[in-house]
Amino acid sequence: MIVLGLEGTAWNLSASLVSDDEVLFEANSAYIPTSGGIHPREAAQHFASNVIGVIGEVLSSTDPRSIEGIAFSQGPGFGPCLRIVGTAARALALKLGVPLVGVNHCIAHIEVERWKTDLLDPMVLYVSGANSQVLSYRQKRYRILGETLDIGIGNCLDKFARSAGLRHPGGPKVERLAQESERYLPMPYVVKGMDFSFSGIATAAQEAMKSASLEDICYSFQETAFSMLVEVCERALSQTDKSDLLLAGGVGANKRLQEMLAIMCSERGARFFAPKTEYLQDNGAMIAYTGLLMLSNGVHTPITDSGANPNFRPDEVEVLWIKG
Amino acid sequence: MDQGIIEVVTGAEAAVYIQTHSVIKKRVPKKYRTAELDIKLRKERTKLEAKIQSDARKVGVPTPIIREVNGFDITMERVEGQPVSLVINETIAEQIGEVLCTLHSAGIAHGDPTTRNMIVSNTRIYLIDFGLASYDRSLEARGVDVHVFFQSLEALHENYRALKKAFLAGYGKKCQDVEQVISKVEEIKGRGRYL
Repeated sequence: MIVLGLEGTAWNLSASLVSDDEVLFEANSAYIPTSGGIHPREAAQHFASNVIGVIGEVLSSTDPRSIEGIAFSQGPGFGPCLRIVGTAARALALKLGVPLVGVNHCIAHIEVERWKTDLLDPMVLYVSGANSQVLSYRQKRYRILGETLDIGIGNCLDKFARSAGLRHPGGPKVERLAQESERYLPMPYVVKGMDFSFSGIATAAQEAMKSASLEDICYSFQETAFSMLVEVCERALSQTDKSDLLLAGGVGANKRLQEMLAIMCSERGARFFAPKTEYLQDNGAMIAYTGLLMLSNGVHTPITDSGANPNFRPDEVEVLWIKG
Repeated sequence: MDQGIIEVVTGAEAAVYIQTHSVIKKRVPKKYRTAELDIKLRKERTKLEAKIQSDARKVGVPTPIIREVNGFDITMERVEGQPVSLVINETIAEQIGEVLCTLHSAGIAHGDPTTRNMIVSNTRIYLIDFGLASYDRSLEARGVDVHVFFQSLEALHENYRALKKAFLAGYGKKCQDVEQVISKVEEIKGRGRYL
């Protein structure tokens, strides 16, 4: 089966063509804020101006008649962005006369990595701008075992970075500055059972700007926030007896986070997987491939049910493509 | 540690050494986190766990007597008896209901009240392992406790329906808002996230 997928939940507009075995083509158009963080309306305007271009590139890479389905990111994400890709996907499906399928962005991150590795049933840490969740599959759903009680880790990093005068995206800049320090300043460490909270760290980091060096703050920020994530992952592994941990989402590109997770896993005798940056970041291939899995199992989304779902939770999706 | 070690149990954050007359719970260092944070967390949590466990005892919930808190280690009385998971019946389930209601009424949530974390000793039900416990009066925290207990029943015991019923009868004796707790448990179960 060949499926065209459209990703557009936040910053990256991406169209991709996949078959059962490989990514055939991908075209991207990233929205880069001129100042401040991601502005949903500006991102949506960027998507609206470029969506025809990226789809055109994909269509000219193949015979459009070979496309058997259109997948699109239905959520979670910014409403204005989701509406642009949703509209484009509906038009394309109607024009080509093929089924449409709305994909959960978070599940797509997991499925593309299961596709590219030999992981059958991993524990997943999904960390991006808006999302921070620990998930694993059980009885036809990806269950959320733990998650942020307030903001996503990426959003927290970006907010702090902006207040420190660092340009978007702030995460990689904080990572680089953190490497220059080993002086730990205590910051609010909040783990409640399997859930965690980051807003206290953002406030503490801004407060510390008055007296400490930016390097020390970046270091302490990362150490505190990442330790919370690793602790919850370890507890999740211990409670479920799963032996593989998979990292997903853009913040997963952080080398210190990868290192901490790797140490925790090796001490428990678990395997740790950090995928390539192209799959950690938002990409059209993950939407196309997850759409392919859904279509292959008889799932499609009628036009009337294809509206944007900005708060789409992964456990709303019945997972029919995993047996058992 | 002057006595022979009978058994060592390791969890996600601690190792528990069971000896003839005492139990030592040691919070082990985590190499993934920076030393300052590691030491701070282990100290604070050890102190908090010991405090909640003795507070629970003060309000009438049987828990092992804490003998010593030293850095990252808690030494406590070893309660001899049978784990509830091996001997549970409807009478015991009802007793557990009463014990958990007493704990909740004192504003304490256990955090992990599975049948493996309860011991029957001389017809009394002891709660052990307060590692995830918190001072929390919320309906949410109480619902999670009851849900976690129910999950452990469903996983291990065939007659779990009768056991749940007996538990709720015990819980409802003094906790008048048992109906609210039951609806909270239903809501939590719907989220499908606790194991």
